[in-house]
Amino acid sequence: MADADPVSESLAAARPLSPHLSIYKPIFTMVMSIAHRITGAALYVGALLLALYLLGLALGPSAFGAVSWIVDSVIGRVFVLLFSWALFHHLLGGVRHAIWDRGLYLDREGRELLAKATFGGGLALTALLWIASSLFG
Amino acid sequence: MSRSTFQSGRSGKGDAFVSDREGSLHALAMRHSARALAPLALLAIWHIVGLVGKSYEAARAEIGRPLPAIALIAFIVVVAYHARLGMESIIEDYVHDKSLEATALLINKWLMIAIAAVWTLAIMIIAAPR
Repeated sequence: MADADPVSESLAAARPLSPHLSIYKPIFTMVMSIAHRITGAALYVGALLLALYLLGLALGPSAFGAVSWIVDSVIGRVFVLLFSWALFHHLLGGVRHAIWDRGLYLDREGRELLAKATFGGGLALTALLWIASSLFG
Repeated sequence: MSRSTFQSGRSGKGDAFVSDREGSLHALAMRHSARALAPLALLAIWHIVGLVGKSYEAARAEIGRPLPAIALIAFIVVVAYHARLGMESIIEDYVHDKSLEATALLINKWLMIAIAAVWTLAIMIIAAPR
């Protein structure tokens, strides 16, 4: 619109763009979709921290002392716990996408089932991993 | 990134937000790397969680064994590809300033290469026979 007047231009600027997160009621499948992206970004940051831990481990005991908190302190344990959960959640989110790519579970019941399975499965696999790790690790 | 000039029946000739003909390759690359990552991630997370509570010597002994070392290196190599593409999508979606977007894409590229390089080199040092 080249001949738009200032009033309608300011009205247009104030109008929300769509899709706009803040005007939607949160829906479970939508939250799972966002969680897939957030866990992906969190794993990116987690990989950076783990790379620093491995670098310290490679360099020697004094360097290890500077980075061992990443895995070994209270914060470190929470970080590794969250990292493992994010990994499972993101992995199952990928499996969900692979199922959708084949045209399956795209209806309302199907996609809500997959969203629940992603969420529950991520928590269950995290619990399983930590129990198994404390038993056999 | 190129944005093609699109002749639309509705809006006439001009630049429009249409396919830049990279989307399907991007989607396939994400899926192919994800398929490799599924088993590698399970192996990697087992060894990463195994590091919790380990001393310097114990952690080195754990990571220095051949199979954990190979699994963790294979994992980060595919992650470097998958995570870079994923972060590119996020940057392209949320960073609207063109020059800032270009900077973010550049940082993303080299940061992910650096993470994978440091990770791989560290494990090779740890696993090298002494």
